Amino acid sequence: MTELASIGQYESGKGTGAEPSARPFWRLGYHSRVSLWGFAFVLPTLIFFAVFKYGPMLWAIELSFTSYDMVSSPQFVGLDNYRTLLSDPIFRETLLNTFYYIAGSTVLLTVSGLGLALAINTGIPGARHCMMVMFLTNLMPIIAVCLVWRLLLHPYGVVNQILQPLGFGRIDWLTNSATAMPAIIMVTVWRFAPYFMVVFLAALLALPDDYYEAAELDGAGPIRRFCHITLPLLMPTIFFVVVVSALLCARIFLMPYLITGGGPGNATRVLSMLIYETGFSYLKMGQAAAISVVLFAIMLVFTTLQMRLFSRSERIYA
Amino acid sequence: MTKASNRYPSRRDVISGIGAAGLGATIAPRAFAQTKKPVNLSFWTFDNPQQRPWVHKRVKMFMEQNPHVKVDFQWFAFADLGKKLSVGFATGTAPDGFVSQDWFMPVWLDKGLLAPLDVKKLGYDNFNTFTSDYARAFVDGATKDGKVYGYPMWFYGYCNYLNTKQFKEVGLDPDKDWPQNWEQLGEVAKKLTIKDGDKFTRQGFKFAMHAAQWTMIQFNPILIGAGGKWFDESGKCIVNNEAGVRAMTIRASIAQKYGAEDPADSIATNPIPAMDFLKERASMFFCHPMPIDLVKANNPAMAEQNYFRPVQYPGSVTGKGISTTYGFNLVINAKASDEKQETLHELYKFMMADLVDAWRDAAPFTFAKKTGWADNAEVQKFPYVNEIIKAKDEGVFLPRTLVFNELADAVHRGVQKIMLTKADIKTTLDEVAAETDRATAAYKKA
Repeated sequence: MTELASIGQYESGKGTGAEPSARPFWRLGYHSRVSLWGFAFVLPTLIFFAVFKYGPMLWAIELSFTSYDMVSSPQFVGLDNYRTLLSDPIFRETLLNTFYYIAGSTVLLTVSGLGLALAINTGIPGARHCMMVMFLTNLMPIIAVCLVWRLLLHPYGVVNQILQPLGFGRIDWLTNSATAMPAIIMVTVWRFAPYFMVVFLAALLALPDDYYEAAELDGAGPIRRFCHITLPLLMPTIFFVVVVSALLCARIFLMPYLITGGGPGNATRVLSMLIYETGFSYLKMGQAAAISVVLFAIMLVFTTLQMRLFSRSERIYA
Repeated sequence: MTKASNRYPSRRDVISGIGAAGLGATIAPRAFAQTKKPVNLSFWTFDNPQQRPWVHKRVKMFMEQNPHVKVDFQWFAFADLGKKLSVGFATGTAPDGFVSQDWFMPVWLDKGLLAPLDVKKLGYDNFNTFTSDYARAFVDGATKDGKVYGYPMWFYGYCNYLNTKQFKEVGLDPDKDWPQNWEQLGEVAKKLTIKDGDKFTRQGFKFAMHAAQWTMIQFNPILIGAGGKWFDESGKCIVNNEAGVRAMTIRASIAQKYGAEDPADSIATNPIPAMDFLKERASMFFCHPMPIDLVKANNPAMAEQNYFRPVQYPGSVTGKGISTTYGFNLVINAKASDEKQETLHELYKFMMADLVDAWRDAAPFTFAKKTGWADNAEVQKFPYVNEIIKAKDEGVFLPRTLVFNELADAVHRGVQKIMLTKADIKTTLDEVAAETDRATAAYKKA
């Protein structure tokens, strides 16, 4: 009798000579015990998520219906916080800034990440070393990055000094409402594009060579090969990058906070900054929670739409 | 010789004496131990290179003199202290005692977070003797309904700091030609400005643009001097009225009319607000009293040759300039136990007992208290100390309002729009007032 068969017999209570009724009622069967062990292993993670992730999320939703100054106990106010947000021009402006930042950063991160990966993938000498150097931007502490860029983008800073011989006049990168947000998007792309480059590169290396060989035999040029083979096959990765970068950008806080402080005026204030200020500076935790719920809802809708859109395009290309 | 004087102690006397001594020896340590029960306090303050070390020094001295007291001394960045305290109160981890910026007092008091101080334990006979030891404006923010909630410590006014070497370079006498009204400030600043194309090599004057609190501190006296007010009697924000527009026009004129400053150049790039002045990239700057060590650390030549000096703010009326005054109070958390409150009273009394020592360590930061320091010889020998004291005594306070942070952020955004994107002053101030009124309404509703 194999070991497996004997276990099966034990579980069913047959062939072992032991009657099923002989097993105490509290003694679990093998499969139940395996399930319980599995559950026990997963339990710490579940508790972690419940306590530190979903618990606070639910609490934030609950708080958004209250007036809470962090000192007195929360008072239920129904939808008041949401009504206040709708009538608040600062919130509306900040919401638009957030959309602008997410859209600009996501598009540029995806395009530049893909572009860098394609460049590295050409296999030109030194490409891999370049990749390593570029990835260093991800390892630098964010505060150092922000301080350095603040100085680089100073009206008399290095960026303007480089542009001056090319015929550009003085650009007030961080103090002009037209250029401040593009400047922050530029810093975001500088920091995170190499990370997504690695993601794209991994996907490119996994693409089968057969398609390219067949296309080459059929006389397809590099652009056609890219448009008809590379791009369709990379769709799941592009989807991943778009969703992840959009979620990353939606939660951005330190970059605008440290580089421009949300200014000039309100030009670079994003929702996460507004949440922080409303909660911790103005002591309106209920309203801050309402803003965070709005941000969460936007990201949920965005991710759902993206998933549908990309699953449809994947089916088309398949 | 009397009988009594010849009397030797009897056996009964000796036994009684030994008994009494034994009883005393038994009871005394217990009584002693009762008063010396360990007390663990937490105390928070803001960071400042001169002030924080002095506070820490006094706390350590107090602990040495009172070994049963342990103080967990923590400090935070100046701008972070208020937020840390809010979170502390929310989570029940607020310290037993702390240094509160004057402008936060209305919020703490409104929410009942502070314990009243017993002025007798601080060495005063009653409420009136306490309040009369300070200029009225300094204790106004720390008192409510005849009770004292804050023990005012450092309070100071802002001065206009001049680079006297640069004044002389352009043929101005800093002792006579210092600007006494806003037009003079613009004209003098223009003379001091040096430009290379569109790049300022030297700005004649510099307004701080990096933080909302500084925007408020620097704009406040311009507004009040121009006849304006932050709020009317009903609490409505009226910064957008005619006087407010006039004040903001003055604020903008140094850059826009006289071309004597570049508002875009140092936004959030300088590690300290006065850096442009200290590095001689700006000839004039409104600043709190400047410690010599601060000047020495950033510009040793300026400190050694002493070519800087404070003068009073320019005014809307010549020679009638006023500055912004603000300061700090020692306060006690309402939730601190009676024993801790008692010990904090002793600690605060001890800290404030030697203001000349505080001056020695943190000059020229001035104090709210009228007595015990200003007439001291060490204080009087500090360069231009009377200008610094005058700025404090004649300064106007930042608005004491329950929506100070919202107001400050709204004004800061407004100033940025006006200075950096040349937005219309009236329209921008309308937005500022509307934003502040919304915040006030929300506060009242909550």
